[in-house]
Amino acid sequence: MPPMLPDFSNSVKLKYVKLGYQYLVNHIITLTLVPIMLGVSIEILRLGPQEILNLWNSLHFNLVQILCSAFLIIFVATVYFMSKPRTIYLVDYACFKPPVTCRVPFATFMGHSRLILKNNPKSVEFQMRILERSGLGEETCLPPAIHYIPPKPTMEAARGEAELVIFSAMDSLFKKTGLKPKDIDILIVNCSLFSPTPSLSAMVINKYKLRSNIKSFNLSGMGCSAGLISIDLARDLLQVHPNSNAVVVSTEIITPNYYQGNERAMLLPNCLFRMGGAAILLSNRRSERRRAKYRLVHVVRTHKGADDKAYRCVFEEEDKEGKVGISLSKDLMAIAGEALKLNITTMGPLVLPASEQLLFLLTLIGRKIFNPKWKPYIPDFKQAFEHFCIHAGGRAVIDELQKNLQLSTEHVEASRMTLHRFGNTSSSSLWYELNYIESKGRMKKGDRVWQIAFGSGFKCNSAVWKCNKTIKTPIDGPWTDCIDRYPVHIPEIVKL
Amino acid sequence: MASITTSHSPSLSVTLHSKLTAVSSEPTGSGKTHHELSALDRAMAQHTLHMVFYYRDQDELFGLYDLDSWRESLSTVLTMYPTMTGRLLLEQGHDGNWQVRCNDAGVRVVKGSVDGTLSEWLNSATASQEKLLASWNHMPIDPTTWSPFRIQVSNFKEGGVAIGISCSHMLADLTCLASFIKSWTLVHRNLPITNPPSFTPLPFSPSPQPLSNGHAKPPPPQQAKDMANATFKFSSSTMQQCLSNIHDICPNATPFDFLCALFWTRISHLKPLKNNDQTHSLSICIDFRKKLLKEPIPFGYFGNALHFTMLSLEGEDLGSVVSAVNRHLAGIEEEEIRCAIERLGSSNRCMYGEELTCVCMESLPYEAKFSDNEKPVHVSCHVGNVAGKGLIMVMPSCEEGLARTVTVMLPHEELAELIKDEAILQLDPTTLLSDI
Repeated sequence: MPPMLPDFSNSVKLKYVKLGYQYLVNHIITLTLVPIMLGVSIEILRLGPQEILNLWNSLHFNLVQILCSAFLIIFVATVYFMSKPRTIYLVDYACFKPPVTCRVPFATFMGHSRLILKNNPKSVEFQMRILERSGLGEETCLPPAIHYIPPKPTMEAARGEAELVIFSAMDSLFKKTGLKPKDIDILIVNCSLFSPTPSLSAMVINKYKLRSNIKSFNLSGMGCSAGLISIDLARDLLQVHPNSNAVVVSTEIITPNYYQGNERAMLLPNCLFRMGGAAILLSNRRSERRRAKYRLVHVVRTHKGADDKAYRCVFEEEDKEGKVGISLSKDLMAIAGEALKLNITTMGPLVLPASEQLLFLLTLIGRKIFNPKWKPYIPDFKQAFEHFCIHAGGRAVIDELQKNLQLSTEHVEASRMTLHRFGNTSSSSLWYELNYIESKGRMKKGDRVWQIAFGSGFKCNSAVWKCNKTIKTPIDGPWTDCIDRYPVHIPEIVKL
Repeated sequence: MASITTSHSPSLSVTLHSKLTAVSSEPTGSGKTHHELSALDRAMAQHTLHMVFYYRDQDELFGLYDLDSWRESLSTVLTMYPTMTGRLLLEQGHDGNWQVRCNDAGVRVVKGSVDGTLSEWLNSATASQEKLLASWNHMPIDPTTWSPFRIQVSNFKEGGVAIGISCSHMLADLTCLASFIKSWTLVHRNLPITNPPSFTPLPFSPSPQPLSNGHAKPPPPQQAKDMANATFKFSSSTMQQCLSNIHDICPNATPFDFLCALFWTRISHLKPLKNNDQTHSLSICIDFRKKLLKEPIPFGYFGNALHFTMLSLEGEDLGSVVSAVNRHLAGIEEEEIRCAIERLGSSNRCMYGEELTCVCMESLPYEAKFSDNEKPVHVSCHVGNVAGKGLIMVMPSCEEGLARTVTVMLPHEELAELIKDEAILQLDPTTLLSDI
């Protein structure tokens, strides 16, 4: 019909215009240099060799001038190479695969819920509704202590879970990389809710008999984004210490934090948080250049704690009966959206191609000077990254980010499938998602990955990695036995 | 002549420590969501089954509990038995019958400990104490969160473990329960399963009839009568002797035929007859898997495949009774089994014990070995909710060959008399786990 066709042809024309504009702006330097070089070459050819020799002789160089110029060049080069930040390589990483005995099907979870909360059928109903819409699958895992009726969250059980998760991940990392325990120079362990004395990092040092001059750190209380905070800390340390290896362990220990009361806002984490952990090997050694999987490009951290509402939106407190739980406020999504906007405002100039930045600048100037009613231009981050790892905090988080960043289904597939298979494993979920992308054979050399994590505080942290070498399938990891079943279609509501 | 010494150690107690839910290693998937119970299954609703397997556990497989490999092998084997990890629910509609919703909810696993050694237990525990090794939770009105299967792992002092498994008789019979434990041990030792479970329905199930008294209710808890148990072990050589003694009368008698006849005749002596023209009858319960049928049901059929057949006592001569039993069992045809199942209808009655019942059990239990070189030291079986006439269970023994273990459940006074019975004592049985 007549009105439809012009729209279609308009959008096609617009697409080509956009492509042309992007090519022009992104390659502006090449496009200006090429004609200049062509001109110079033509000029040289025109002059002929004799003329060039005459030109050279007329410059009257003497030895002192030549030596000074040479030293100047060498000096500038040395200063440049010395002050360049060291490249941080991600040699490899390993994710924890829970044993099959820890699996929690929906029916088991609801059965236990009904037995433990038998005096609060409304709370049971609430949990069922959350689970139906959660986006989790039937293969997520909870630690052994939670399978008991009633759960047995003793300190011994919590340490047992920590040992199971952390040691399995580390053994797997040692096997994959051939790293010897005595070669670890820096150890960073992050686990938000379980912080015993001695610390979890001391537990690791004890188990693997690490060196006495190791630099160990234990980050606790920093929420689900602590994994990227640990990476940031490792990066800073690796700038100071040359030729070093850093191992980062990200996990969340669920045993002591399984809420035993019946306050609804606090029952939500029980439905979503699951057992998981990851161990990552970072290095600044030049020798790792060949075999490293990724190179760390940027880490951007944003903290909205100064705002009271953001500070209180994920809050650990006691309920009316004195039972401790984590209360999630209703405006969590709105706050997450704002934190994200702040983060991408800082991230944008670092990663976006010149074309997008120019457009954003022009729209910004236009809004300020000409007409405040112009829609703000949302830069197209798909141009800056090939892969996205969005922290699998919950279905709502992934939906919100997909909408805000205008991502396609394939971009958020890794996050959704990780939520389905492993649940919300807190700080380690980013590594399961990265492993998914690798297992699917989508990671090629030069691909850029954006990891975004949200955490209590309220924080939004992101890290940008660049793939160093194409990763060939099949790879050894938590997805090995089930990658062929994915992606699965996750229904809006699973009937329980 | 054997003398019976049963010393009851009141100090032997069983403590239950914790309860958790074990799930299968893989989800059931959308393939099998509901399992219909056959008419025979529903007829067994009043009863429960309990088996206890005793092991010396020399390889200490059952020490740590949470991280033990038997937990993993249990999860792996449960993947093959989706009806075990499901939950019972009533079908929609007025005439709803029980069915199983295969939703992976899992089986309860209970941890227990005994403050005595395995040998002390087998020497001096009573049958009522043994019930604590396979503890049971009765079905509530709403069984959505009730696990129809319950496994208990109880550790003895100085090594040794008792694995108790209990279930509602609607979902399994003794053969498939023993077959499950055997499959579990095979998975544990990384061997292939010999009798994979099969859930295809029986070839002759009548259409489900509406229940006469409204929709199905959970069975009432324990029996009212004061019943007692005792176990007699007969050695292979004794059985050999007995069978050769009656060889002339009944050349192809099996140990079951002999023991069934022996106990029947001896118990009949003890039971008073109401009037003179009544005869003592016996209900023999046999498993009809893999035999008697034109299209045999696979041995791995998971569900009830039991046939109860009645026999009347004529005469007191042991030899002739053995022949009678032997002939009767040999003469059972498929038509008889089909008719019996179709006659089951919808009544909620006790299948065991309304007449003196005798159960014949296959050789499975002693094949369940968790380590390559360790058979169970003893296996006990009990049926819950048996009515007043009593139950005799003839099972294999740890000693192979013709040896048999007979567990008898009778009213207290009758059992007390039976234990002193000359005809039985003559065969030199070992008595254990007795309430007397």
